[in-house]
Amino acid sequence: MVFKDFAFKIGYCFYGIVIGKFYKQLHPDQFGMKRAIADRSILDKFCTDFCSVVDRHAKYIIVSGFLAIASGRTRGTEDIDIIVEKLNKQKFIGMHNDLVKRGFICMQSDNPEEIYDNYLSQKASVRYTYKNEPIPEMELKLAKDELDLYQIKTRVKIPLTGLEVWFSSINMNVAFKEEYLKSDKDMEDARHLRIVYAEQISEDKIKSIKQMIKKLRL
Amino acid sequence: MRDKTHMEQVERWALYVKSHPDWKKKHTRFIDSLYEKAGSFIHALAKQKNGKDKIIKLYGIKNVKGYKKLLG
Repeated sequence: MVFKDFAFKIGYCFYGIVIGKFYKQLHPDQFGMKRAIADRSILDKFCTDFCSVVDRHAKYIIVSGFLAIASGRTRGTEDIDIIVEKLNKQKFIGMHNDLVKRGFICMQSDNPEEIYDNYLSQKASVRYTYKNEPIPEMELKLAKDELDLYQIKTRVKIPLTGLEVWFSSINMNVAFKEEYLKSDKDMEDARHLRIVYAEQISEDKIKSIKQMIKKLRL
Repeated sequence: MRDKTHMEQVERWALYVKSHPDWKKKHTRFIDSLYEKAGSFIHALAKQKNGKDKIIKLYGIKNVKGYKKLLG
């Protein structure tokens, strides 16, 4: 009888745990989870999923428009730009296969050797998407010069974005947008970043990065 | 060149982001709606005559078999 009572109590506890877990899934807001889930946009999730795979193989940075969007700019984009440190073919093949295993597909080809030889080694970019979904895209290129390497070396995580991915620095992005890209959209992105991250903006750093851009890219 | 009211709106919204910790909720709804709209349009386009070819052209898809469910 004592054993029967004990078994009943154990069973009841187990039942309680299972029911609790279901309740937690159905009512995440009461467990502090709602904000984290609701605050991640389709673009945030795509970027985080992709970067978590790349991170296992190489250093990378997210640059340009997505930093502005992740920092609150209200505009659309079809692609996120990622620069990955220089990889040899073998390492790239490993990374590509891992991306495919995680549900990504390269728009240019299924063959990683072809992607490396015909695109990446020629300093051209390739685009990855979720399988069967042409948007959003991740535009991937390998670091091509001193400036890209410098951007990777000075990469940062930016808490305001709420994303666990590596970005090139705020000053770097502002300098590129104002000195190199210069479209209306880019100038607006730069203005947005200058206001949102006013405390991190360094005119001296921006000036010296602009000089590097003039020397290496213009 | 866009007119100056455009940049003024950019500045107004940037100040909102800076001063309102709940900006991301509004922003997420905005971004998601763009993708939901574009996504449903792509799926509708795929069902039209020549729609699949148009999608291939629009996005420059070379690896068509990677999008078999949409384009197959």
